[in-house]
Amino acid sequence: MGSDHRAFLEATLPYLDVVYQVARQAAGDGQEPDDLVQETYLRAYAAFGSYRGGSMRAWLAAICLNVARSEARRRRRRPWEVPARALLDVLPAAGPVGGEAVPDVADVVIADLDAQAVAECLALLPEPQRLCIALMDVAGYTARETADALGCPRGTVLARVHRGRRRLAELLADAGVSHGQP
Amino acid sequence: MDSRDRDHRLLGAFLAGDLDPAAARRWDAHLLECEQCWRAVREDRVGRQAAQLLRRPAPPGLADRVTFAVEVAGAARAAGQRPARAAARSRWRARQGGRARQGGRLRRRWLAAATGTGAVAVVVTLMVLLLPGGQQAQSVPAAVAAVARYAQAVPSPARAPDAHPDGRGVPVEVGRPVTVTAGGQQIVMRTWRLGGTEAVVAVSGRPFPMPARAQGLSGMGMAWSARLGKLGLYCLNGRTSELVAAPVPAKELAALATRLPLA
Repeated sequence: MGSDHRAFLEATLPYLDVVYQVARQAAGDGQEPDDLVQETYLRAYAAFGSYRGGSMRAWLAAICLNVARSEARRRRRRPWEVPARALLDVLPAAGPVGGEAVPDVADVVIADLDAQAVAECLALLPEPQRLCIALMDVAGYTARETADALGCPRGTVLARVHRGRRRLAELLADAGVSHGQP
Repeated sequence: MDSRDRDHRLLGAFLAGDLDPAAARRWDAHLLECEQCWRAVREDRVGRQAAQLLRRPAPPGLADRVTFAVEVAGAARAAGQRPARAAARSRWRARQGGRARQGGRLRRRWLAAATGTGAVAVVVTLMVLLLPGGQQAQSVPAAVAAVARYAQAVPSPARAPDAHPDGRGVPVEVGRPVTVTAGGQQIVMRTWRLGGTEAVVAVSGRPFPMPARAQGLSGMGMAWSARLGKLGLYCLNGRTSELVAAPVPAKELAALATRLPLA
């Protein structure tokens, strides 16, 4: 076997974990994150010769998101469709945002949050916000890397992630995911 | 951009440390007085920390799987083919013992990939192995089948740079070790090149089951040999079990095994 694949693996395998985080968030219904990661690496390998530097992590994330979208198109489904209809049914109607009557969601005890509930609430966010949170907060990308991966300005990423985090916090509070409260 | 958008952008920039010192000081002062903005900052923190709960480490076998897929693609590239992604994925799953629920889709992808790319003989051979009712599907234990499929995915070397003038040569490891689980058995596989032949040495803490048509080797306890197409298999079971797979005649296999690093 040639050595080019070894050079590729040496350059990209250190980022397997973050690519996996992106894949977990990007995988649509019926998609396995592991499959998505493998497909991402194979496409990246095929395009490695044209890689022109910059953030390798951002490059891999962009490929991963493209693979997820392609696969979703192939399945004729939306890649980020919300699977949490059940959650919508059980959520109380959202109260007004801001004002004294709204409980302060910042009082929740983070350590006690239910990851499954977080995932379901995250799935309810609009795609642009969800993508930014998936890359920055879940996968640990910087705002610049996220902007590179998504092909949008960094300021837009910061605004989306801020808006998304607030909405996520509100959804969690609405869902009663604050088990640390007495 | 309306005023809310602008507020989100400014607050996002403030939280990211993007504002110049003077603007940041103004925001600090503002946050001391504005409950609504202070709430926004705390909600941002809650949302961020909640999302971080979703981090999960990659599964232990994923790196091996990706490595294997890329190596297969690299071998296909070296042989002048387009990499067959679906084939690589199928091969990985096949090596893991196969999953019945994926069989139909994978076989279709296999066929498409093989047809579309003009896959080489090794791919076709693998496909035959994967088809339902394939000659080995019923009679070869999953662990042995996984090793055989992996060995058949290894292309023959175009040359043997390590060949020694006396014809014996020194074994040289090719690629990285790959760990798979098949039939509930964890197997570590290494590929060695020796005198123009590439052989796979599979090591496991559990004995490799004997295929139906295998022959027990007299005087060697739990040893057996078998033939799968052009591939010879030679197994020594014990506390640590080794299975050697290589495309050589049966009479040469035992001699080859003695020259390879085993456990």
